[in-house]
Amino acid sequence: MPISSEHAGRRYPASAPYEVSRAKIAEFAAALGDDNPAYSGDQPVAPPTFAAIIAAQAWEALFGDAELGLALHRTMHGDQQFDFHRPLVPGDQVVAQLGIERVRNRGNLDMVTIVVELTVEGEPVCSARSTLIHTREEAA
Amino acid sequence: MNVGDTRELTVPVTRSRVVRYSGASTDFNEIHFSDRHARAIGLPGVVAHGMWTMGAGLRVVTDWVGDPARVLSYFVRFTRPVVVPDTDEGTEVVYTATVASIEDGVAKLTITATCGDEAVLGAAKAEVRVA
Repeated sequence: MPISSEHAGRRYPASAPYEVSRAKIAEFAAALGDDNPAYSGDQPVAPPTFAAIIAAQAWEALFGDAELGLALHRTMHGDQQFDFHRPLVPGDQVVAQLGIERVRNRGNLDMVTIVVELTVEGEPVCSARSTLIHTREEAA
Repeated sequence: MNVGDTRELTVPVTRSRVVRYSGASTDFNEIHFSDRHARAIGLPGVVAHGMWTMGAGLRVVTDWVGDPARVLSYFVRFTRPVVVPDTDEGTEVVYTATVASIEDGVAKLTITATCGDEAVLGAAKAEVRVA
């Protein structure tokens, strides 16, 4: 059975913690071409969209759920929302938990809204909401 | 920062930067380094990551407010991919941010992103703490 609105509300187990490092923050800021001094020095913070690295790793739970029949290579990222509670800093052990918020089907398109909650020691640090547009495989 | 104030930022992007973002983000989708894979799904060639286009654009806001910790929320719709030619110059994305409102110490900004003549992000907006 393909993904449908019945799957809204499904939540997956939390990921193993991702440890934020100074080196990864520097690498990410360089890739953005952003030399804001806040991202380097003695007490750097991560660029806000660094959270996407950790959120995207949590997507594996969604694409690994055989019941949904979702294929990453037939999926487009429609939109992205971040709500930030505090910046990520080196040493943060970030746990990501993915939930399906909403599913709409139109023809062979599935529009799936997912929310990844990022927490450090149980405290929320960022919420990442994505709409994914999935094209179902044409019946042979 | 006052309602109606606007800022602009141009961010260059080359193949080298796209590869760098693949590594930094761990998104190794082949369309971000292989023309062959990009063309197979109907793109003209290698494209930047949507998340790069989103992340690089936030700088128009963070350069303005200084401290990135002031950013409370950020939303974008991915409307068109940024096609990055295999040249030394690559291409560039022009971002603008405009203050739409300020209330209770929080400024709401609308953001645009264009590459060539085309909008690459839609309905983009951010909220920042200004007091």
